[in-house]
Amino acid sequence: MRISEQAKHETRSRILTTAAELFCTKGFEESTTREIALTAGLAAGTMFNYFPSKETLAMTMVTEALRQGTEDFRRRRTNEEQLAEELFMFIASGLRLLQPMRPFLGPVLERSLSPFPRKSTCPEGDATRQEHLAVVQEIINHHGFTEPPDHVAMTIYWSLYLGILACWTNDPSPNQEESRAMIDYSLQVFVQMITGGDAEKGAANDC
Amino acid sequence: MTAELGTETKLTRLEALRRALPKEPAMDPTGQRLAQLVDRIAEQRVPVNGLIRLWTLGSLQARVTAGYFAYWLRSRFVDADERQRLKSEAHLAAAVKLFGTMGYLRGAVMKIGQLLANLPEVAPEEFSEVLAALHFEAPPMHFAMVRELFLDEFGKEPEELFASFDRQAFAAASLGQVHRARLHSGEEVAVKIQYPGIARTIRSDMRNLRLMLQPLCLTRDWQNTTDKLADIEQMLLMETDYEAEAGYYTQARQLFTAADQVVVPQVYREYCSKRVLTTEFLAGCHLDEFLAGKPSQVERNRFTDLLTVATFRVYYRLHWFMADPHPGNFIFMADGRLGLIDFGCTRVMTDEEWQLSSAAEQAFLQGDEARLNMITAKACLFNGPEDIEPDRLKTVREGVDWQLEPWRQEGLFDFGDREFFRRGIDCIVAMAKKRYTCGAPLYIWTNRFTLGGRAFCYRLQGQCDFRKIHQQESLAASAAASIS
Repeated sequence: MRISEQAKHETRSRILTTAAELFCTKGFEESTTREIALTAGLAAGTMFNYFPSKETLAMTMVTEALRQGTEDFRRRRTNEEQLAEELFMFIASGLRLLQPMRPFLGPVLERSLSPFPRKSTCPEGDATRQEHLAVVQEIINHHGFTEPPDHVAMTIYWSLYLGILACWTNDPSPNQEESRAMIDYSLQVFVQMITGGDAEKGAANDC
Repeated sequence: MTAELGTETKLTRLEALRRALPKEPAMDPTGQRLAQLVDRIAEQRVPVNGLIRLWTLGSLQARVTAGYFAYWLRSRFVDADERQRLKSEAHLAAAVKLFGTMGYLRGAVMKIGQLLANLPEVAPEEFSEVLAALHFEAPPMHFAMVRELFLDEFGKEPEELFASFDRQAFAAASLGQVHRARLHSGEEVAVKIQYPGIARTIRSDMRNLRLMLQPLCLTRDWQNTTDKLADIEQMLLMETDYEAEAGYYTQARQLFTAADQVVVPQVYREYCSKRVLTTEFLAGCHLDEFLAGKPSQVERNRFTDLLTVATFRVYYRLHWFMADPHPGNFIFMADGRLGLIDFGCTRVMTDEEWQLSSAAEQAFLQGDEARLNMITAKACLFNGPEDIEPDRLKTVREGVDWQLEPWRQEGLFDFGDREFFRRGIDCIVAMAKKRYTCGAPLYIWTNRFTLGGRAFCYRLQGQCDFRKIHQQESLAASAAASIS
């Protein structure tokens, strides 16, 4: 019997919801794929048809949240923002959607987004990184920096972003407000760098 | 904003600041060493308030703060021998360097700077004037940050919550900034928004401050200094609680009727949280703009009168005083009314403090010198006048007498009298130089309140019937208390 697309979609959603609950209650490391499958009412083998690994499962959640965050960012953008401010809004919009996953985000990011060489890469993690950097590039272009920033600039951005995520997942302050101040600071540093260290240039080049 | 100033203006201001830096007759008669120290700090480009953007724009302010700080620290060891002085200089250099890393958010730096300036080792009048001119120069946080804060606090964007909301802040508060907005019901409001993480920054700054002061302050006054720092920390943290401030606004507003011509803005509670405070917007101007319009003496006196009524009423009815009476907190309204804004730095007196202050007032009014000496000694943390050195008692009493001087005069008292104002500053400088600053923490705030209020009226060149207003307000408060 063929499974309808709708049924597939429902099963996929159920797996993601179940996994998110388990990751939050038991932690990412302690939750097994078998347990996720059983709790979602599936055979372990069936679940692998949907998600080949626990990392893929978690990274899918992150990717979907960040995609929604990008949509929110585009909706909220007024085109009056300066470069650093717009980057801030982009990152903050994503973090707001990642908020429910904060308890288990640390190990997921470490495994899937780490810049260090790994034996096996996580394709979802790489795709998420590419999508994120494409939006950053778009924002920079939008502010009149038509020369594509070189890979060094993007690598530095990505390092800052991962640092932000690492800090944010462990930030005990209310609403992670300390991380928010740090994001602003990091982005000022980044904008200073890509504008040649001239603090005013980021604003001056705004469209 | 500082960044928008032309190079020439910047240089002029820096020069004005250098000239105004305090001089130390024994160690640094020209003030040059202190100026160099301040310059060195400025050159380091350390992120004094964490955000490079803010550091760049607010660097002049940071220099002023650092200048005060260096001066204040240096004054601690002015009488030491040469060896001790050299050792202390090394500590001073380390402390000032460390100071550059403090307060990664601007609010704490500004606040601590202003408070250090108002610790009893006060700076000269000219220096205070430079600082006053810099009060509104801190740049705003960008609007994307404001929007995130609103989502956290209210679950809505500012544009959803209000009918309109200005992207740009119109004023910088020390711990945040103020935006204009309009409610859906049509009222114009001022929305004060706190910078994220400021409370934690204050705690960490104060911890660092205590640590860096320790090697410099192993004197008998050290315990008193730490008590004062604890009081300062408590007040700063109170200032981060906008819900508490909303409560102060509401209580103060109830004290004034339309006939009083003093306005405390209405608070809109449904638009308030711990980090957002929404109040009625009062249209008007601040002191500098008012003075630029060359007001008549009648107008100057009117506002001096209203300010005196307002402060006495709050003091006698609620046993509070506004411990941060800087010019930005008063609005000269076009229709002649005086607006009071910013109740963040409100010092509520304990019953014990109130009784001691009332006793001092009674002793003064009755001309009971012996009792006034007893109260002065107790305020300096001595058991009585027999325990206090005669010169300390005399010096402190001169300061107290200056504070009480306007009470003595029937008719108009001229707060614009330069000689009177200078004499007050001289009294406090004398106390600082002789290191007679040991006292209950309350007096940091009462000194700040009195000096701030008098500096304001001095710049206003205002006169009022101080004695009569005092009698009216204290009697009315007693009558109100007996009824309740």
